[in-house]
Amino acid sequence: MTSTTSELKVSAFLAYKSIAKGNKGTTLLTILIMALAFVNLMFMSSLFTGMIDASENQVIETLYSNIVIEPKDDETYIMNPDSILKKVDSVPGVLGTSAQYVTASTITYEEKSGAWAVRSANPDDEIMVSSVHEMMIAGDYLSKYDRGEIIIGKEVAGGHGGSLEHLSLGGVVVGDTVEVAFKNGVKREYRVKGIFDTNFIQSNQLAYITEKEMESVLGTSDMASQILVKTKGKGGEDKYVEQFIMLGVHEDVKTWSVYAGIIAMITQSFDAINTLISVIGFFVAGITTFIVIYVSTVSKRRQMGILRAIGIKESIIVRSYVFQAIFYALCGCVSGLIVMFAILVPYYTTHPLIFPMGDVTLVIEQKNTITRGLGLISAAMIAGFIPSWRAVRETILDAIWGD
Amino acid sequence: MMERDGQDTIIATRNLSRTYIMGTMQVPALKRVTLNIRRAEFAAIMGKSGSGKSTLLHQLGLLDTPTEGEITIDGVEISGLSESERTRFRLEKFGYVFQEYAILPELTALENVYLPAMALGLSRDECARSGMDALEKVGLAERADHRPREMSGGEQQRVAIARALINEPKILFADEPTANLDNASSKQILELFRALNRDTGQTILMVTHELEDADTVDRVIWLADGEVVAREG
Ligand SMILES: Nc1ncnc2c1ncn2[C@@H]1O[C@H](COP(=O)(O)OP(=O)(O)OP(=O)(O)O)[C@@H](O)[C@H]1O
Ligand SMILES: [Mg+2]
Repeated sequence: MTSTTSELKVSAFLAYKSIAKGNKGTTLLTILIMALAFVNLMFMSSLFTGMIDASENQVIETLYSNIVIEPKDDETYIMNPDSILKKVDSVPGVLGTSAQYVTASTITYEEKSGAWAVRSANPDDEIMVSSVHEMMIAGDYLSKYDRGEIIIGKEVAGGHGGSLEHLSLGGVVVGDTVEVAFKNGVKREYRVKGIFDTNFIQSNQLAYITEKEMESVLGTSDMASQILVKTKGKGGEDKYVEQFIMLGVHEDVKTWSVYAGIIAMITQSFDAINTLISVIGFFVAGITTFIVIYVSTVSKRRQMGILRAIGIKESIIVRSYVFQAIFYALCGCVSGLIVMFAILVPYYTTHPLIFPMGDVTLVIEQKNTITRGLGLISAAMIAGFIPSWRAVRETILDAIWGD
Repeated sequence: MMERDGQDTIIATRNLSRTYIMGTMQVPALKRVTLNIRRAEFAAIMGKSGSGKSTLLHQLGLLDTPTEGEITIDGVEISGLSESERTRFRLEKFGYVFQEYAILPELTALENVYLPAMALGLSRDECARSGMDALEKVGLAERADHRPREMSGGEQQRVAIARALINEPKILFADEPTANLDNASSKQILELFRALNRDTGQTILMVTHELEDADTVDRVIWLADGEVVAREG
């Protein structure tokens, strides 16, 4: 066993000398290419992570909050939502709750009309679970006692360059009156109080009226179509769901991720692209290392023969090349990370990329970094191993005196 | 008589042959060579170019595998050794000096010298110490930190000799160690070998074609056409 450590020492010594006393230009160029390969891997995956992160945040911030409580399967409404709210609010980490009615409607303005969902909101509660009130691009958010007023998303209003402009009302502005035909047959006119733009196509297709107004339309009281629950942070929702159920919430409790079907689709196609790009990145890194190590073994053919002649084991020699490859890959990863953290992440934080799912910045995940880094190092190890292993297959005499 | 031979003999070959195969041609470079080298002997292998001197040295130094025949070194039958045992054997028991100064350009003189000791598992301090001792023996202690390109051919060859000596080999093999050197350097190297053999009883097997070397050594093994012959060819 001690022979193994001393063998490692000899390999490390040879690798170190080869790098330290070898051609600096080659070393720097190799590290540069490895760094580029790593940045490429990291950039794409952190951009995708950023896009997914942005989409998830949009779903939570503007659509469903962290947790949604819905009526049991065969019921339209949650009865007596206050008792549920009381239970849910008692759980530590719950930051806000909002009971909403949701109903289908047809909204008409002049010649144009379309089908959109109208939600009710009690503004005091709603601002605790959603950020829509911070995203008004015209007019104001609802106030508690508003009755004849509605706020609508930019895809409903039209005229703000939305992706679904052709389906919109074609340019409603604040102060205009729209007619809303609710699913239950009730028809009312509302003054547009505000228009919001969440940067997220799904939440931009909603309209909101106050709870009081909705109850008078539906003829209900003390009921809800859904209860949105805001919890501390993202990702720990399942634990809250368990606690709610333990506290006796018998309704259908789901986390935001159940609703994030589009995200799942986006994630899947991203994952495919991401994997492809990663594989290409690993190949670039691997081939670079292969060429560098190959050239080195060719130019040191005779030296390798001499080392073997004087009794240095082949495995020691091969390992010295693998160590060199690891060194290149590690330096590449470190310089790549420096470029990411010192240049790219700050740049995209101040200049986010605008996507339909919102403003996207680079999100570097530890797990991604580690797998990409390890992938790069593994590719380099294999690429360092193959040429050096092949080189020591040659007979000693051929290596030293052959041509 | 046989008994005494067995104790004194460090290398023994029986019917050692090496035939190179070039396409359909067979080139017999060594033909049934049987010889003994005694412990503490300074022997030279001489003969015309192409007579098989290097080939013989490579077989005895375990750098090549004979086509036929037996080699026993230090009581060990070589054909029974695996590739890695042969490598270990070379590291522990042999020292080599080649015609070209075969030292690594990236290492200093001292590092070149102690590399085989490092491979044996010696600590850095031990390596440095015995490396300096070996450099001392070849008279290059003050060049310890020089890289090969900063040294003359003769100095590089002495570094190679110091490296060959570091693990206190049983046998020192040298294939025309002075062929690339001027007269003065050649003489220095030969005297070094002579002194090593005289003072420490180092067994040395050296290929040479300098006729004057024949006077310095204990014995000359003459080769002609791959066979051991009685006298100069
Ligand atoms: N790898 C090889 N393949 C084929 N033939 C070879 C090979 N090596 C040597 N030979 C042949 O074997 C014979 C002996 O060669 P060897 O190198 O042992 O000679 P030598 O006595 O060392 O000569 P020199 O004094 O020129 O070094 C020569 O005829 C040579 O051509
Ligand atoms: Mg020769």
